[in-house]
Amino acid sequence: MAKLEKNELRVGLFILIPMVILLFFIMLKLGYSIAGSTIDIYLKIDSLTSVKKGTPVKIKGYTIGRVVELIPVYRPALHFLATMRIQKEIELYEDCSAIIQNQNVIGDPSIELKNPEKKGLLLSDHDVIEGIEYVNLEAILQDVHVLLTTLSKTVNIFKQISLDSRYHLRTLVSNLSSSVSNINRILADSQKDIIAVMSAFRQTAQTMNEISKELKKHPLKFLFKGKK
Amino acid sequence: MSRENNIAVYTGRKVIGFWKGIKNFVDFIISIIHSFQSFKYLRFRSIYDIIINQTRFTGIHALPFVVFIALLIGGTVIIQSMTQFPKFGIEGFIGNLLVIIIVREIGPLATAMIVISRSGSAITAEIATQKQNRELLSLETMGIDTKLYIVFPRIIASIISIFSLMIIFDSVAFFGGYLISQLTVYIPVDVFIRTLLDAFSIEDFIATILKSLIYGILIPLLCCYYGFMPGSRFEIPIYVSRAVIRTLSIIFVINALLSALFYL
Repeated sequence: MAKLEKNELRVGLFILIPMVILLFFIMLKLGYSIAGSTIDIYLKIDSLTSVKKGTPVKIKGYTIGRVVELIPVYRPALHFLATMRIQKEIELYEDCSAIIQNQNVIGDPSIELKNPEKKGLLLSDHDVIEGIEYVNLEAILQDVHVLLTTLSKTVNIFKQISLDSRYHLRTLVSNLSSSVSNINRILADSQKDIIAVMSAFRQTAQTMNEISKELKKHPLKFLFKGKK
Repeated sequence: MSRENNIAVYTGRKVIGFWKGIKNFVDFIISIIHSFQSFKYLRFRSIYDIIINQTRFTGIHALPFVVFIALLIGGTVIIQSMTQFPKFGIEGFIGNLLVIIIVREIGPLATAMIVISRSGSAITAEIATQKQNRELLSLETMGIDTKLYIVFPRIIASIISIFSLMIIFDSVAFFGGYLISQLTVYIPVDVFIRTLLDAFSIEDFIATILKSLIYGILIPLLCCYYGFMPGSRFEIPIYVSRAVIRTLSIIFVINALLSALFYL
């Protein structure tokens, strides 16, 4: 009889210990804590595109809890309340912000809580805060893609412009060179003529000088000389 | 007779034999279901001792072996992942790997293999010996439904044992994996547990429970079926071997089907 009791005890422990382990794991998975040191805070969100059950809740990058439930609210407009089960000892204030963001390249979302600069009342169990920002990794990647495409196009245009400009500059320089040679030739040709013109100017000046002298000496004679 | 005819005869014989085997097994299950009609005449105390002793033998006595195998498998998986994962930059997925490989596949399979090789063969040999010693006949003479009296407690004990062994196997494999991971890279306990929990899904829990239930029913059923088969004591080793091999094959097929059902 004693042997059977011993066996019963062993079998009982053999059943109970795995059951406890399994329940412990299930409870942890569901976001419960043994010490009951958690509070539930509701996060108001517009859509379920990023937040899901199990999404970690962080403060300064440190995980303080996770989303355990998502409740739809139908009025006034359809929105959702994500129940965040977070550690009780973390001090969060009523005006804290909840940023829904992607935590890595794969795009696993996380909720980053930030306390306000001016501390007000502490958040208590079942309080509601609002998700203020949503950064969609896909959208970012799409934007980056568009930006890179635009940049690539711009670089191509610059390249084209520089190629065209080079051709134009070359033409301009050759034209300038031919213009300079033309001017040189003109100057060389006109050098003799300039001397002749200058001597003609000089003679004209002498003649004019003589006329003026004659005019000073005999003004009337000079004026009526031709009216005879 | 030509060679082609021989092949045709051989194939036909095998197919008919396979079909007859399935039919006999189905008849065996139906006879057990029918024997539940006399369940009210069965005193719980009479099967209670069998359940306790069978659980002790199938579960508790297999525990050191299961723990040893689980530690080795958990360690091996972690060693492989620690050496291979950094090459692909996915060293943060160790928890996922442990859950996928150990909880979903190796844990249930290894546990089932240990139970089949230890207890399945023992069940077949025990029942076959009882049959040859006319113990079953004497029980029937006393008006005891042998199928209910022998098979039912073993199914209960097997379900309990396999369920507990699976949970212990998984836990020890995680523990072994964690210990080995400490040798190469430091991972805090809470981070390791958190990674495991993130990798777990409700399907994993349901699949573990369902697998333990299905294996717990199938293993003793098949082994008892082969235990009732031998016509003489010289056939006992043949049927013991057959019980082990066929139960293993069926368990592998069922495991693949369940995995496809849950994770595809």
